[in-house]
Amino acid sequence: MSAFTDELFAAARPVWEAQLEHPFVRGIAAGDLDEEVFRRWVVQDYLYLMEFARVFAWAAAKADRLASMGWYAAALDLTLNTEMELHRAYAARFGISAEDLEAGAMWPTNRAYTDFLVRTAADGDLAELVAALLPCAWGYAWIGQRLAEDERPSDRRYADWIETYASAEFQTAAEWLRGEMNRLVVDVSAEKRDRLRELFLLSSRYEWRFWEMCWRGEAWAV
Amino acid sequence: MGTSADLLARVRPLWEEMLRHPFLVETRDGALPDATFARWMRQDYLFVEAAIPFMGTLLAKAPVGHRKPLADAIAAFHRELGLFRERAVAAGVDLDGVHASFVCHAYVQFLLATGALSSYGEGFTVLYAAEKAYHDSWKVVKAGIDPGSPWIGFVENWAGDAFAGWVSWLETELDGLGDAAGEAERARMADLFEATVRYEIAFWELAYGRADGWPGIREVA
Repeated sequence: MSAFTDELFAAARPVWEAQLEHPFVRGIAAGDLDEEVFRRWVVQDYLYLMEFARVFAWAAAKADRLASMGWYAAALDLTLNTEMELHRAYAARFGISAEDLEAGAMWPTNRAYTDFLVRTAADGDLAELVAALLPCAWGYAWIGQRLAEDERPSDRRYADWIETYASAEFQTAAEWLRGEMNRLVVDVSAEKRDRLRELFLLSSRYEWRFWEMCWRGEAWAV
Repeated sequence: MGTSADLLARVRPLWEEMLRHPFLVETRDGALPDATFARWMRQDYLFVEAAIPFMGTLLAKAPVGHRKPLADAIAAFHRELGLFRERAVAAGVDLDGVHASFVCHAYVQFLLATGALSSYGEGFTVLYAAEKAYHDSWKVVKAGIDPGSPWIGFVENWAGDAFAGWVSWLETELDGLGDAAGEAERARMADLFEATVRYEIAFWELAYGRADGWPGIREVA
């Protein structure tokens, strides 16, 4: 019998493959992504991470066992106190200051995605929360790993991007979260699995839209 | 200037843009294709359904004096859903199996995230913005729509006296909440008010099916 996360992956595979084929991601892989376009991602992802960290805080509060509580607390600490600092250092390589990052305005897709994550974390149970956050944590690790199969781009900044998400640290975190998801669905109803699959698909779609947002640029209609 | 007037004054150009939207003008003039109105109707039905748990989050934080008006509003939302179903049957619009468009989904997440994370005053601001937007928008439609229009029930609902009374109550209470709020909370209220107005405009836009798709795979069952 396959793991529940295999079912999730199969259900969302077209969206994940579409992410991999997205011109923004192809541009990172080839190293020829317009720097102006990439800067959008740097700023928007920074704003995203601030909200994503809240999801780990909710997860720690809702965790059903000490080991999970500790993992989410560590993930929260890592996101807020390490990853965001790394992001600031990385942004500096593109000429973006910490002040620019802090002053950035969240674009509509980013706002919708983070509202979705935060409200799912607040309203849902731990299984729903994990289903909603997996496409980010696992998806970036998956994309990083797939891009790392090919030769690195000559632009060191894009090569580092790939290596970050292909790193053992990201792969291990994604693996732990998949294990957590599979643990949380033991003995749940078919209806509950459907609900979790729906959340996983929604976040996967938001992930695709995030690349699209950065690729095209975005603003409110009026 | 009270908080409600101040919030409206800050977004005046946006507000006017909303009231000029082709969806309202064409509905008023009987020029809107039925399929366009039906697309809005299906999505707004989902939105009203989701507004009920949002009201629940407000109710959980509300001062005692606000509990009954908010509880009554939840009942009114249920009646609104009944109006949608009744109009849908009459106009041959299928409300079953509808999936939220991107804008509808995003707006609902915004409501629920605000309800979960923000102060009562901030959540109340979003409620006021959405209800005031609807009242003013449907008054635009009311000023000229054919009384025999199949959509007249919606006009009577949101541009009518009962709804005007509800919006007026929200306005008065928001002024009180604004007076009691500190500067930082008032700034957040202003941000949320503006975001709500932008979502309202985007919602009229979605009726036309513009740039509102989800990528990649079939609609989630």
